[in-house]
Amino acid sequence: MGKRLAVCAVAQIKNHPSYHDLRFQNMLLECFEPIIEQTQVTFDMEKGIRTIITCSDDVFDARTISDNGITDVVGAHFRGEEKIAQESINGLGYAMACILSGHDDVILFMGHCKESQGESRRMVSNLAYDPFYCRPLGMDYHNVAALQARAYLEKSQVTDAQMAKIVVRSRKNGAKNPYGRENKIVDEAEVLNSPLYADPLRELHLYPVTDWAYGMLLCSEERAAEFTKNPVWITGYGSCMDRYFLGDRELASNFSLKNAAQRAYAMAGIKDPCREIQVFELSDQAAYQLPMWAEGVGIAEEGRGGQWLDEGGMETFSVNLSGGQLNGNPLLLGGAARVIECYYQLSRQAGLRQVKGAKRALAQAATGGAGQHQAVIVMEAQGG
Amino acid sequence: MAQHKKNRNVGIIGIGQTKHSSHREDVNQPELIHEAVRLALQDANLTMQDIDCVVHGNMELFEMVHQPDLWHVLGTGAYGKDCIRITTGGTVGATLACASDNLAASGMYDIVMAIGFEKLQEGHTTGGITNMADPLWFRKIQAGALTGSSAYDVEREFGLERANRASLTYRIIMDKHACLNPNAHRAFGLEFSQIDDLIRTSPKLVGELKLIEMCSQSDGACCVIFACEQKAKELAETPVWIRDHITVHREETFNIFGYDRKAPVIKTHKFAAEQLFGRNGINDPLNYFDVFEMYDPATWWAIDWLRDFFALEGDEHLKLIENREIMIGGRMPINPSGGVIGSNPIGATALIRVAEAALQVRGNAGPHQIPTPVRHALASGFGGTMWTVMTMLEKELNW
Amino acid sequence: MAEYWGVTVADIFNSMPERFRPEGAKDVAAAFGYDIKGEGKWRLTVKNDAMALEQTDDLSGCVATMAADGETFVGVNVGQVDATNAFMSGKFIIEGDMAAFGKTGRLFRKFVLAQKEMTTKEYLADMFATIAGRFKPDEADGLEASFAFALGGAEGGQWSVFIKDKVCTVTTTIEGKPTVTLEFNDARDYVDFILGKIDAQSILASGKAAAKGDINMMAAKWPLLFEKYKDPLGGNVKEQELLTLKKTISINQRFATGPVMGRFLRGLKDKKIYANQCPRCGRLQLPPREVCAECRVRAADFVEVGPKGEVRYMDVVYYAMPDPLTGVARETPYGSINILLDGCKGNETLPHFIRKDQIEKIQMGWNELKGTRVRPVWEENRSGDIWDIQYFEIDE
Repeated sequence: MGKRLAVCAVAQIKNHPSYHDLRFQNMLLECFEPIIEQTQVTFDMEKGIRTIITCSDDVFDARTISDNGITDVVGAHFRGEEKIAQESINGLGYAMACILSGHDDVILFMGHCKESQGESRRMVSNLAYDPFYCRPLGMDYHNVAALQARAYLEKSQVTDAQMAKIVVRSRKNGAKNPYGRENKIVDEAEVLNSPLYADPLRELHLYPVTDWAYGMLLCSEERAAEFTKNPVWITGYGSCMDRYFLGDRELASNFSLKNAAQRAYAMAGIKDPCREIQVFELSDQAAYQLPMWAEGVGIAEEGRGGQWLDEGGMETFSVNLSGGQLNGNPLLLGGAARVIECYYQLSRQAGLRQVKGAKRALAQAATGGAGQHQAVIVMEAQGG
Repeated sequence: MAQHKKNRNVGIIGIGQTKHSSHREDVNQPELIHEAVRLALQDANLTMQDIDCVVHGNMELFEMVHQPDLWHVLGTGAYGKDCIRITTGGTVGATLACASDNLAASGMYDIVMAIGFEKLQEGHTTGGITNMADPLWFRKIQAGALTGSSAYDVEREFGLERANRASLTYRIIMDKHACLNPNAHRAFGLEFSQIDDLIRTSPKLVGELKLIEMCSQSDGACCVIFACEQKAKELAETPVWIRDHITVHREETFNIFGYDRKAPVIKTHKFAAEQLFGRNGINDPLNYFDVFEMYDPATWWAIDWLRDFFALEGDEHLKLIENREIMIGGRMPINPSGGVIGSNPIGATALIRVAEAALQVRGNAGPHQIPTPVRHALASGFGGTMWTVMTMLEKELNW
Repeated sequence: MAEYWGVTVADIFNSMPERFRPEGAKDVAAAFGYDIKGEGKWRLTVKNDAMALEQTDDLSGCVATMAADGETFVGVNVGQVDATNAFMSGKFIIEGDMAAFGKTGRLFRKFVLAQKEMTTKEYLADMFATIAGRFKPDEADGLEASFAFALGGAEGGQWSVFIKDKVCTVTTTIEGKPTVTLEFNDARDYVDFILGKIDAQSILASGKAAAKGDINMMAAKWPLLFEKYKDPLGGNVKEQELLTLKKTISINQRFATGPVMGRFLRGLKDKKIYANQCPRCGRLQLPPREVCAECRVRAADFVEVGPKGEVRYMDVVYYAMPDPLTGVARETPYGSINILLDGCKGNETLPHFIRKDQIEKIQMGWNELKGTRVRPVWEENRSGDIWDIQYFEIDE
């Protein structure tokens, strides 16, 4: 049994502000069919898919055990289905464990989220906070991000002007992504003038409300050739949980991301990400997170985010050519979107966004306010 | 075995559970979890330093907390660690055990801690269950998670009187087991002489399904620590090995009410048992296993599933109950812990089945330990729209 | 009348008027019966935010009656017996409308056992009588000391406690030279001090008491030598108050039906019932689903079925789960039916309800035996909702 996981095929629908005419079963079906078509994988108990991993959230779906509504669409009828109720990126780590353990050979990984379904995604993330203290204070992922932004901007000397550039760039890149959310192309002035959401974050600094669904076929090294001529490998995974109360955390320290990245690098045998990895997809739910997560994974020096931006770090390291989460991916699915972009890059299918000769890519995503739980995936192209 | 020979073996080295109850108002959610975590660490003689990865699960809509593992880090001890969160409804506890097994067997983590919990009293349980249904139509008309159809099935086949007596016999056996388990939630001290009375007086909920035959709603937590073979042998006197596990789901629609022999209904637990035992070369599960911690949401299902899990015929399963072979000391002890009917903190319940089966293998379950040696144990989980998870535990690494 | 935990059944009923909560009686207009085995029957009438209670054998017209033995009834009321456990194991039974009886929980404040009183004299006697039993010999290794207590007032007295060779003796005099002497003007203050109602500082500062001799022996050593005195009335420690936070969490949702479910709901508006058909195995799904789970293929062909059909299975529901959105529970009993509509076969049933007054008449199908034939009763104004069908009724 090899030490890496093969991504054999991916499928997705377009990131969209509101799929009001589709329920999530329809959205998933659009991702399910192409995977089956492309790989000809079956659900045979011996040779096919026996385990399906899904990613969704009961509170967003407003349904208890919401995965029970999709069992049939993801092919899980009389098969196993396990729901990752966390950022989707962790589903890849878990799938890796299922396959490396020997328990499974082939895994279908699908996820969905409709941020537009509920009246407010902030009300959803407010529920992540304890009912006695943080929740009544009105904390949600957006205003908590603002608190972290304030700390980070000061520590790493990142300015409003730089944040505006990040937003403008994300939309330009997103426009080159056929599955990217279609957003109005904005200029820096518009960003700087957009209404304040939670100081220092403005509306345009935050990722817009998005609906999305995706699917991936993952399998063991030995069987990849059955499903694709062009597998992309997952070679490393690491995650790390930080403390809960904001006051207990050093908000600008990147504690959890640094640990998660180190663990992923160790597993993948990466000693120097700056030299060994060519593409970086970071889940930036708010503009300040792009340079902050860049510091966390070690491609920007700690405390020098602003400088790194000025020196063109985002282009040097091909960061978020997909548009990033900032252009629009739902909460909890940012990781899957990052992995999918890395897959396209490493299998030379990234079209206008293609980085020539990309051998390795990194995908990162966070669960919880101000990145309390972070996870990192390292990927490698076929032929090393 | 699973699709391939396991990369490396995994054993349970630590078990902790709270006393399950209907009113743990004295603790908040992370504190409740922490009780179980502390007990498990104590049992394993470890500290949080030794844990590589924490696996967390529950049905979050019952307590209405989004991503509860974030807040619960205060009680789980997952700070600084890898952390995975998996939920699969009522089977989540069993899934946590399967996931921990996968994670440790993969080589990615040496010691994994699984935590299942629920604090049902903080939310609206029946509302939470009704909310499982499709909001576009089924939620508006559903009767909830209750149906009398399993009682109807048994009654149809064996007659009302025999069916009722078997159901109450099963119930009283579970109660007697619960009375021996210091952690059980509901233990009434029922006697077999009460069977006729209870049949008559226990209020009916749906059809023939009576209140006394239903599982509880409990607050509680369970924590189980898994380790790779090498560490398990170093750290534990009696590691309990995970041999294999299987998960089988089915679609959400309940198309099982046709009652037409031309359209037989296949149940997931029958399928799961056939697959799991088949691939492990077990032809006679009733004789192979020494104990079975079965997820019994109600007596009627338990009766029905005994036949399916053990591939019995005719009324063999009823006889097992009527002859009290399922009691501690009997031929096939079922739920020496008192089962789900005795305690049901939903997010923990299926994990408790694995934990209790492991305690039996270890031989130190306490007053509810079965008197004969346990080498092979089975645990099952149930939930969602009639899903099944099964886990096989072994005393020796010799399969 | 028998006493349980010092309380009689009559005590509970007699205290009801005083414990009554008019705010809990809003929307309650009914009579409730209590049949306490061996003790008697009571009838509680609640109307217009007021109650009336009488002991009577006539419980006719009660919407629900609770039957229990005296011990269970008292036990549940004084908190010695867990109500849910008792109910589930049949120790008390509710006949009639269970949900209505549930409302009585809000009608009364909790029954609180009346505090028995103990006089100063009785306390002192008890305190000194228990000293030997509270003595911890291991703490007295190598110790020889005597403690004298001169407690004044009408109910006071004198006591000495001797410790030697790890043995403790108590006398009701003061002799010789005690190691330390405690003098109280009023013995009652000493009792309050031991019960934790006043602290040493306050007593000494206010001159209510004085200590002579080796004061440290009293202050530091005594608490180590003797276990704390436990008030036999047990009431001097205030039970922790539970703060409860009640919040209904609600996030408005706009659920999309999508084209498949949408077609079904749209059909109901037109009084048509649509199932979808799997192109591979031909099975019908009702309501329609995006795929056939068994074949794992898109199943987009729609077939009109019914609207009439036969009942294959019925659940008579006695206990209704409340609607999570409104909290309202359907009136019971009701009949939840699974109908095999014309055009469907096998397990392709649709769940709905049977007209309330027809539950008794329904025959369930079984293999070739057909169940009672039923037809939908449609709403006048339909909106594309499962409730466009009010219920099904027998097709005569």
